[in-house]
Amino acid sequence: MSKTSRSSLWAGLYCPGLPLSAVWDHQPGPAIAVHEHQRGQARIFQAGQRAHQHGVRPGMSLSQALAVLPQLQSRPRSAAMEQRALEQIALAAYGHSHQVVLAPPDSVLLEIAGSRRLRGGLRPLLEELVDTLNQQGLRVRCGSATVPAAARLLARTNQHAHSPEHLQRRLDALPIEALGLPTRQAQAITGCGLRRLGELIQMRAPERARRFGSALNAELDQLYGRRPTPLAGWQPPERYRQRLELPVPSDRSEALLFAANRALDHLGGWLEVRDRALTGLHIRLEREDSGNPIVLHLSLARPGFDRTRLLEMLALKLERIRLPAAIAALVLKAETTLEYRPPQADLWDNRNRSDAWPALLDRLRARLGEDGINGIAAHADHRPERAWRWVPPGTTTPCTETRPRPTWLLPAPRPCCRADFRLEDGPERIEAGWWDGHDCKRDYWVARDRHGRKVWIFHEHQPRSGWFLHGLFS
Amino acid sequence: MSEPRSLQHLLDQRSDLWRGQRRPPAAVAASGRAELDAWLPDGGWPRGRLVELLPEYLGCGELELLLPLLADQTRHGQPVLLIAPPLVPCPQRLHRAGIALDRLVVVHGPDDALWAAEQALKSGVCGSIVTWHPRGRVDPRPIRRLQLAARASDAPAFVCYRAGQSPAPSLSALRLGLAPGPQLSLLRGDGPSRTLHLGRANVIELAARRRQTAPLS
Repeated sequence: MSKTSRSSLWAGLYCPGLPLSAVWDHQPGPAIAVHEHQRGQARIFQAGQRAHQHGVRPGMSLSQALAVLPQLQSRPRSAAMEQRALEQIALAAYGHSHQVVLAPPDSVLLEIAGSRRLRGGLRPLLEELVDTLNQQGLRVRCGSATVPAAARLLARTNQHAHSPEHLQRRLDALPIEALGLPTRQAQAITGCGLRRLGELIQMRAPERARRFGSALNAELDQLYGRRPTPLAGWQPPERYRQRLELPVPSDRSEALLFAANRALDHLGGWLEVRDRALTGLHIRLEREDSGNPIVLHLSLARPGFDRTRLLEMLALKLERIRLPAAIAALVLKAETTLEYRPPQADLWDNRNRSDAWPALLDRLRARLGEDGINGIAAHADHRPERAWRWVPPGTTTPCTETRPRPTWLLPAPRPCCRADFRLEDGPERIEAGWWDGHDCKRDYWVARDRHGRKVWIFHEHQPRSGWFLHGLFS
Repeated sequence: MSEPRSLQHLLDQRSDLWRGQRRPPAAVAASGRAELDAWLPDGGWPRGRLVELLPEYLGCGELELLLPLLADQTRHGQPVLLIAPPLVPCPQRLHRAGIALDRLVVVHGPDDALWAAEQALKSGVCGSIVTWHPRGRVDPRPIRRLQLAARASDAPAFVCYRAGQSPAPSLSALRLGLAPGPQLSLLRGDGPSRTLHLGRANVIELAARRRQTAPLS
């Protein structure tokens, strides 16, 4: 046994319901199943708990299953979605270990010796991991061993072996069926009267190769750690995109929010693993009738990830739109991601006040739109109607105007009648704009209107001629 | 000694006895004008309470009245919100009044004005919030919600009605009528109804400022 395998420790995560969980997002609810096509016939591959209780079994043809349980909902198996679900497990594992390996079709391995001290020991670490995945709708079993191939095998039966000797005892006791060999090979072995792995391993290697094939020897060597297991390390994806199908297409916002909540779980894990912060989120709602998808965009005033806030913003967005058809799936794309600095809570205040202001801006924007909130800035131009700009909140711009200006400006000067006003102060001559084709020549006056309000009016000489109301001194 | 006389005696002797008519002083924010502070029932704008402004016409001094308070808050880094203002607030005037423009946010959209105000008040992070009530009938319920939400805020909150709107009696701390001048009248609040002309004070203040900003020669 090599020295490295002695010091390393691997955990295996085995998800028996992966084909089902991959195409169905949440288990409780309708009776569900997945089927696959075998020789032109759809056969049940895996059935959910409720379907199983009503007698739906793997291997049944779909029509048989529907006869047993008419309200059964079944979807075809999807290799792509199974792969994605497997990566979802890997992503959760990546939060606990830097070395993660996919073991298709249904397992993920992670090195945990290095993480031993991370969360107060291996047991809490693995329990937390299993809990996290359970919350995401992926029920996994977990095992650990000093050898990766063995960890994968022990995960199926929730066994743990933290020393080579212990591992050997565990492996020896396993029945031949636990190896998951092809049926004919397994039958050949049991046909020789071998029941347990321990008996198989005592047979001489050349003899075993002659009887059961040389591939079995390689597999056993890997299991017992006599030969290293070839491993390809898994890395989380650089860009985030996730598609989530609704269990039942719906146009109710609660159903969409429920699905989004699940998706955000996953996104949160991805961000944490990659040390990234969310600055925006694109959410595409795919319609059941394959019409034009609805695209929602959430932008965050401050990078970070706050699930409650995101859900709240999404709820506000959904409130504002009318869904033209039932929605079948959500696609989430994390828009821009930067290095993530966790928000720091104020020393004296448990409420994170430094985060509350951006949160408020986000909430207002979610309902009022991007243009719904603005700052206002002075702009260097002599023409008062061009001397202000809407800017993003928080923009600092210099302001050099020193002449008195009214509190309120009309969005555009409005023609008025000179006789309605009593001139009080002025004139202030403004001549500008000859360089950009909007030249003007005006005399501004502070005046009183009939109600006694102080107003700002001007007499224009060119391009138009006449009196205009431009502001109120409030 | 008869009972009423002994009570009177006690009241005369002890100034620290609480007497029913007088409320304990509320926490206030200075309005920035000594004259106005003296006139307001509690000696300033009440913090965490709703103040209703009823201008006779648009532009009777409703924003001008608040500029010193807003300036003080923005200079201390507190964000200030103007929600659904009827016209464009002039940045030069705001700057001149001492407001840090990068702390001032204008929220558009009169339909959502009261909702936005409630969110801002609940967040508790803002300085003062000035909301212009949407046109049309005044529904007392959202105003009541704002009164409740205002408690989460440390600053006074203002609702400014449109000319001609007559809101139902409410539980707000203060209700001020504004007429050109500007002339303030106390429509609701502690104390007898009274009026205040701010016009002359404004002129004096402006003159003083001009003197300050005039170049030395």
